[in-house]
Amino acid sequence: MTHSISLLLSLLAQSPAPQTAQQLPASPVARLVVTPANPVIAAQDTLRLVAQALDASGVPVPNVRLRFIQSGGARFEGSVDSTGLVRSGSTGTIPVTVVAIVAGVRPVTQVVEVRMVAGPAARITIDASPARLVTGQQVNLTGTAFSAAGDQRNDRLAWRSSAPAIARINADGQLTAVAAGRATITATSGQASATLPVTVVANTVASLSITPSTATARTGDVVRFAVTARDAQGKTIAGLTPTFTFSPGQGMIEQDGAFVGYEARPYTVMATIGNRVSQATVTLTRRDVRRAATVVGRLPRSRFRTEEVWLHPNGNYAYLGSGGGGDVMYTIDISNPAAPVVTDSIIANTRRVNDIMTTPDGKFLVFTREGAADRKNGIVICSLEDPAHPKPISEFTDGVTAGVHSTFIYSQEKFGTHIYLTNDGTGALHVIDIADPYKPREVAQWKTDRPDAGRSLHDIDLRDGLLYASYWNDGLVVLDIGNGVKGGSPSNPKLVSQFKYDLNDLYRQVELTAGPGFIRGTHTAWRNRNYVFIADEVFPAAGVQGAKDVAAGRAYGRLQVVDVSNIEKPRVVAFYEPEYGGVHNVWVAGDTLYMGAYNGGFRTFDISGELRGDLRAQEREMVHVHTGDMDGYVKNAPNTWGVVVRNGLAYVNDNQSGLWIIRMEPKKANVVP
Amino acid sequence: MLFRSVAALAFAASAAAQAPDRDYVVLVASEAVDVITRIRFGPGAGPSFARVEATTTIGVNPMDPDGPHGLATSPDNRHYYVSTAHGAPYGSLWKLDAATNQVLGRVELGNFPASAQVSPDGGYVFVVNFNLHGEKVPSNVSVVSTDPYVEVARIQTCTMPHGSRMNGAGTKHYSTCMMDDMLVEIDAREFAVSRHFILKKGSELGVVGAPRVGPVSTGDHGGHGMDAPKPGNASCSPTWAQPSVDGRKVFVACNASSEIVEIDATTWSVTRRIPAGDGVYNLAITTDGALLVATNKRGKSVSIIDVAAGKELARIPTQRRVVHGAAISADNRYAFISVEGIGSEPGTVEMIDLRTRTRVASVDVGQMAGGIDVLTHWQSGSRVP
Repeated sequence: MTHSISLLLSLLAQSPAPQTAQQLPASPVARLVVTPANPVIAAQDTLRLVAQALDASGVPVPNVRLRFIQSGGARFEGSVDSTGLVRSGSTGTIPVTVVAIVAGVRPVTQVVEVRMVAGPAARITIDASPARLVTGQQVNLTGTAFSAAGDQRNDRLAWRSSAPAIARINADGQLTAVAAGRATITATSGQASATLPVTVVANTVASLSITPSTATARTGDVVRFAVTARDAQGKTIAGLTPTFTFSPGQGMIEQDGAFVGYEARPYTVMATIGNRVSQATVTLTRRDVRRAATVVGRLPRSRFRTEEVWLHPNGNYAYLGSGGGGDVMYTIDISNPAAPVVTDSIIANTRRVNDIMTTPDGKFLVFTREGAADRKNGIVICSLEDPAHPKPISEFTDGVTAGVHSTFIYSQEKFGTHIYLTNDGTGALHVIDIADPYKPREVAQWKTDRPDAGRSLHDIDLRDGLLYASYWNDGLVVLDIGNGVKGGSPSNPKLVSQFKYDLNDLYRQVELTAGPGFIRGTHTAWRNRNYVFIADEVFPAAGVQGAKDVAAGRAYGRLQVVDVSNIEKPRVVAFYEPEYGGVHNVWVAGDTLYMGAYNGGFRTFDISGELRGDLRAQEREMVHVHTGDMDGYVKNAPNTWGVVVRNGLAYVNDNQSGLWIIRMEPKKANVVP
Repeated sequence: MLFRSVAALAFAASAAAQAPDRDYVVLVASEAVDVITRIRFGPGAGPSFARVEATTTIGVNPMDPDGPHGLATSPDNRHYYVSTAHGAPYGSLWKLDAATNQVLGRVELGNFPASAQVSPDGGYVFVVNFNLHGEKVPSNVSVVSTDPYVEVARIQTCTMPHGSRMNGAGTKHYSTCMMDDMLVEIDAREFAVSRHFILKKGSELGVVGAPRVGPVSTGDHGGHGMDAPKPGNASCSPTWAQPSVDGRKVFVACNASSEIVEIDATTWSVTRRIPAGDGVYNLAITTDGALLVATNKRGKSVSIIDVAAGKELARIPTQRRVVHGAAISADNRYAFISVEGIGSEPGTVEMIDLRTRTRVASVDVGQMAGGIDVLTHWQSGSRVP
């Protein structure tokens, strides 16, 4: 009652008079005129936008403050400051909002798009290098112009020959060897040029033969064709460059004679030198690697989404993380894979356990934390003295409070054992020495050379002292952390190479589906033989039209096969893109690649032999399991996350339904009655 | 007459907390699970008087949390705006239809957009780019035009701006900077900083113009209000700035020193220090200016403060830990408090009767409940969406 009287007295006392909202009158500015009207800037160049505010009569309005703001999109490609100075980092389009402010009235805005194009041609590469031709031979030359920053240009190259009487070239790049002699072919665009010395010899080719490395193969096998030209005396003429073609059917052949067919049928491959043509047939049979799969064991999870799964080196325990608000890491007894049982769990100060890994000796485990209640994220290190009951012994949070998404434990005899982890806030790689796991200490950081804006390190893979960093907008980054190729070490990582590609161009259809600003980046990498398999994670910018909200949707993305035979010059040679779904985490064991393909479920692929072209078209897929379950966090909707393979079993975690233990069955032998 | 009024009021206040006699619709953001929850509190919610009416998932990345943090309703109740704090690296401000929850637009902002408020005329949304996890350098306040829906200004303030509140006239915007111990005033017509105030005890100073600050080299900003200050630390570590209803005062929540500092907006000086709960975090004020509601992040409680007297009238424990936001119904009857929770436990919205100063209901929502606002009633008889 005393409180009530006090309150009443307070109320009866003069209360402050609330302010009322002041409505802004209309601006005298009727329109903005921006110069240049259609701004175009070369990548890595600058441009000054100028704006003028005019009233309805076209007279400049006095006392107007003009500001320029980047209004979404192309954040990683360029920037504009408030004065209108545009700085372009690479190609793309920056929407810029021009704001006219007159004090006391509502501002007026206008959006202009600044196109950032490749800078002037600085170098040209000529694709084919037919150094030696015979008279009458024709080959098609192609080439590409690049800016000084390495951006590809779509220039039509100008071709010329230093000696048209020897070798003639037309505007389309068709080179005709006319007479014996030497000529230099030059491709030009702007100030850039490239040359190709060509020697034309008399056409003494009397016979041409083309020989496949094998007459029969399977779809997806790379068959190499060798061409032998002989003169009338049967003597081999060396150093000639044939032109390869094939028909009919789907496939590809490269100018080095590497052919891959996608259909089970005969293919005729032709080699042409001058007026001589030779052909050979290779008959492809179906790759026939499709196999049945058996779900051996199952551990549904419905309380939270599930994230990473990892196996103890002894193969008897699995560790499964949770996400979407989950604070638990489960320990699962898988000694009987048909009946996985949760034996323990760790509850941590987190709302996501995205990644888990053990030391190679199985003595320690690390898991990542994101979404901590005190907003201090990082990693937790556990003792696996009893693998059935991990015990947290230490944690590391210094500088990584934004969260750690991925982690990798790697041991090198020379350098010891380190944890490599990603920093959600800065996109940096942190290297943590765990010589004493109870006292982890940071020994190095590394990040791509760009402004913090746009840098995001998503995942890490390590093989043979090389670290393969999936660096989102920066592509695949390879670091030497002990391999020696660049003198790197865990405490001093050294850049080996960077493979960057145009994600916007690669996923144009996703932008068409739901507009610009979609999620896309280099997500994960796995080194196997001379390849690095990289998977892009791609999501549209908006949910499904007509659906309740953005929870409805699908993933996109492609698995690219990057040939790193020359580690400093990676190049894409093959790819896989699911018809429906995306690509997430992968695991390679032997000649099989195992994949969590999000909506596309669990899939495995035969990656034996040389890889070229479209792996799906080649029928390299072995197994597909639809990991949707009515018993799950989301019912009957696969969202396969990743997989760990051990002893012939694939431990597959689906983000929406939990753990699946799957065995690929052997191929059934054809029974001949 | 006066005596009879006092008696009547005393009777009413001493009675058990009464159920609400009208419906209130509250929106709350759950940062860990990318969900906006719509709660109905009142007879329309059924026997419990409080229930979740709908949930909406928000964000672009279904596999990594977009982290909805700040939430603000438009004065006309037709829209609400949600800041998503996470990104690679930038967050966004989303515009949604209050009736259908349909996304109407998205604008990309800076690092970790957080607290937001719509200007009283509905023309702009002011959002602080909190930059919780980035380098400790000055950040900024984004100004987004609601129609056309574009960012029109980004105003540098200082390090880790937090809280975002405007005066009733819509002429001034206030935010604080946790790492620089400052209150910053932005002229909402000029889109420029007009003044700032240094809050550290013993160093209090009101300054005209924008602060000149560089990178902060000390202090770990992880922890965000949950770490108790070290002994001898005179920092305020401000987390919220709430103007009085007449615009003459600004109340600043000092999370480290657990007090509310009152700044006179005319003289630009400290006029009072009001003791508050442990880790006072967010503030809300009744429309008559009589009461401040303060969330106490470390203290696991909510304080109701008599503004005139400068005294705490009640401290109400919350059911869960990490108390976050506060919003008050337009009739000043109820305060709605968001509580983040720990780990996998749900977030919570707790309903406090401001007359009886008791918690009368609560509803579980998605984890890490934070930004909260009330869809204000329209004219009497209008149906709340």
